[in-house]
Amino acid sequence: MVGALRQARSSVSSSLITRVIALLLAAVVIIKIAPSVYQFGPSYFVRIIAIGIALGAIYALIAIGYTMVYGIVELINFAHGDVFTLGAFISLPLLVTPLWHLTEGGGGGLGIVLPLIAVFLIVMLITGLINVGIERVAYRPLRNAPRLAPLITAVGVSFFLEGVMYLWKGAVNLHYPDLLPDNRFVGGTFSAKDVIVVIAAVILVSGLAIFVNQTKLGKAMRATAQDRDAARLMGINIDRTISATFFIGAVLAAAGGMTYGLYINSINNTLGFPIGLVAFTAAVFGGIGNIPGAALGGLIIGLIRAMNDGYVDPQWTDVVTFAILILVLTLRPTGLLGMRVPEK
Amino acid sequence: MVRSRGLVVLSLVALAAFACGGNNTTTTNKGTIKIGVSLPLSGASASDGQPTLKGAEFAVNQQNAKGGIDGFQLQVVSKDYAPAGTPDPAVGKNDMLALVGDTSVLAVMGPFNSGVAKQQLPVANQASLVLVSPANTNPCLTVDLAACHFPQIGFWPSQLRPYGPNNYFRVAATDVYQGGAAADYAFTTLGLRTVGVFNDESSYGIGIAEYFAEHFCKLGGMVVGGCSATAAGGVSGIKQYDPTSTASFAAMLNSLQQGGAKGLYAGGNASLKLCVARNQSNGIFAADSAFVMGDGGVDSECIDTAAAQAKGMVGTVAAEDQSKLSADAKKMVTDFKAAMGSGPTDFGAYTVAAYAATQTIIAGLDKAIKANNGNMPSRAQVRDAMSNLPPVATPLGNVSYDKNGDTTQQIIAFYKADAKGSGSSELTCGATNTNVCWEFVSSKNYAGQTYP
Repeated sequence: MVGALRQARSSVSSSLITRVIALLLAAVVIIKIAPSVYQFGPSYFVRIIAIGIALGAIYALIAIGYTMVYGIVELINFAHGDVFTLGAFISLPLLVTPLWHLTEGGGGGLGIVLPLIAVFLIVMLITGLINVGIERVAYRPLRNAPRLAPLITAVGVSFFLEGVMYLWKGAVNLHYPDLLPDNRFVGGTFSAKDVIVVIAAVILVSGLAIFVNQTKLGKAMRATAQDRDAARLMGINIDRTISATFFIGAVLAAAGGMTYGLYINSINNTLGFPIGLVAFTAAVFGGIGNIPGAALGGLIIGLIRAMNDGYVDPQWTDVVTFAILILVLTLRPTGLLGMRVPEK
Repeated sequence: MVRSRGLVVLSLVALAAFACGGNNTTTTNKGTIKIGVSLPLSGASASDGQPTLKGAEFAVNQQNAKGGIDGFQLQVVSKDYAPAGTPDPAVGKNDMLALVGDTSVLAVMGPFNSGVAKQQLPVANQASLVLVSPANTNPCLTVDLAACHFPQIGFWPSQLRPYGPNNYFRVAATDVYQGGAAADYAFTTLGLRTVGVFNDESSYGIGIAEYFAEHFCKLGGMVVGGCSATAAGGVSGIKQYDPTSTASFAAMLNSLQQGGAKGLYAGGNASLKLCVARNQSNGIFAADSAFVMGDGGVDSECIDTAAAQAKGMVGTVAAEDQSKLSADAKKMVTDFKAAMGSGPTDFGAYTVAAYAATQTIIAGLDKAIKANNGNMPSRAQVRDAMSNLPPVATPLGNVSYDKNGDTTQQIIAFYKADAKGSGSSELTCGATNTNVCWEFVSSKNYAGQTYP
């Protein structure tokens, strides 16, 4: 009884301490940034926010793949970042094919819309199927193995994909065609590129939300995530549902990869690892297993990174990102939108 | 007591050696002197190391064809510190131990990489063994600068020579001269007064950006974010990006533009996304704004990744342009290609430098042998000879070494990314962006300038 009380008291005081530390850190950050925000003026602020939202949209597209796979099979799919890169790599030859007559520099006007949508769909389909294949070969045989085993095969698949892309294009930074228009709005604060990236992400994420919440397969996915055995007893084909999850995760990652290429205009074969790490952070930040949480987490991380790059020093961007992650997790271990679920 | 007896013995031995030398001044073969060569020779590094090795071999072959030096024949002993394809400093250190162990090795031509030199130098210093590098450009190997004490660089001359006087020499101009010359160029030729400076977190990038910024501030220019010194002694305004996790440079470039920058200096390597920053500066900086780099950016990957924004970038290279080589140098290149071949693993960017480095070693050996009355000199004698070497005529010009071991030929050439064929001579072109090349602008010997 006394022990329990003491434990309760110590947990209260330790959470109080973390809260105080969090508040103090937030105060330091605000005091540090506020003068530059004031000094650089509102139009610069809008510009940085626009960059942050566009980056955040790309992180969100990758984070959703992590969170969906984790939600349904409790696997941190380390290969997901490389599936994202694969999407960008597969789209590269498709975009430069003379079939479309696409020219660089945003001169294509509305003529680029249909070819881009066509390439998007082809790449999403191919990458989705590849990911289903990866699941079949590398994860399904280990479905009932200890949890570390599929984690290690995921790392293996990650290296395998990086190796394949290395053999394909070499270990150099590749230029990705700059096709999106770069018209500037509101005194040059944001560009058509930023807007297009955000719109694409919004369409994909809302499409996913509708799919998961309204369709039969979406319901099967939610049921499998909640309780796999019960779902099987209800007649849900678990293998097919998991395959569908990997397919959709890869579809979003491939779209993210292409969007990244069109926005950043540079890709390389090892890109997926650092980007995947940030996106995974975003998924944990928003509450792993929670799809809107992953989108929100991606957005917030994109904003944090852009604010730090723009107002402090890019040298500290990773430090700041992960410091905020640690703070949020000490205060809310389940992430921003995550809910406490019983350990399975 | 023991000590003085030792001295007596030593002087007796020396006398005996002296006597032998006196009797043996004919031109017959007195033995073989080995010149060690330590380079990355395998896999992806072969294109760096093999042509460099052949430069040394060519110089030695020519000397042997003339009858060797003072009756001694020369022999090259090569060691490969990239057995797995990438330069490995630990292997380089072991190679140096092996070369030190072979007592007929009196000097070493190499290494190629500054990171390997850092490991090899103390080992060679203990044995008084001379190292002459054809390609090291990190100034901290020879000069003690504030930047050498940054944690990311973390080495300086006295630390690398714990046992005795300097035994390290090089024919390459250092990053200090590249950074300083670029600052002169930006301030005087381009007329820039406010620049944004950033680096790619590599020790090379951190160093060269620092040397640029220090000199640019000294000239009276302004680095966005301030010219004041940080606690570590660096210029406070320099930005640094993480090449693995940075996707978008837009926010950083916007902050530099907002800070008043009219041009940029980027310290680092094209392989670490340096020129992606140029590509993304589109719409933030004017298309014709300056973007200046060191030699880490002067390659085809840079032109490819900068893509439509490639034209107008300026880069420095620590070597003379082909078109400005002397007639003697051109003859050496022709003779070399006739004797050793002209393929990508025969002749390379550092073949001439390796040849010149080996020429200075031969001159040093000659001087040491003469000072030793025609006998096999000790390593310490070779080292002392190298430290006071009169200028040696090489394809790089008349090379001699200052007290730190740096060359008196600090030649920096400027290149500009421009339409193919628009300059008098070009270095390399893009692999995918094939119409844009690094076109030669100008070059100059910056020796004697006080940088940073």
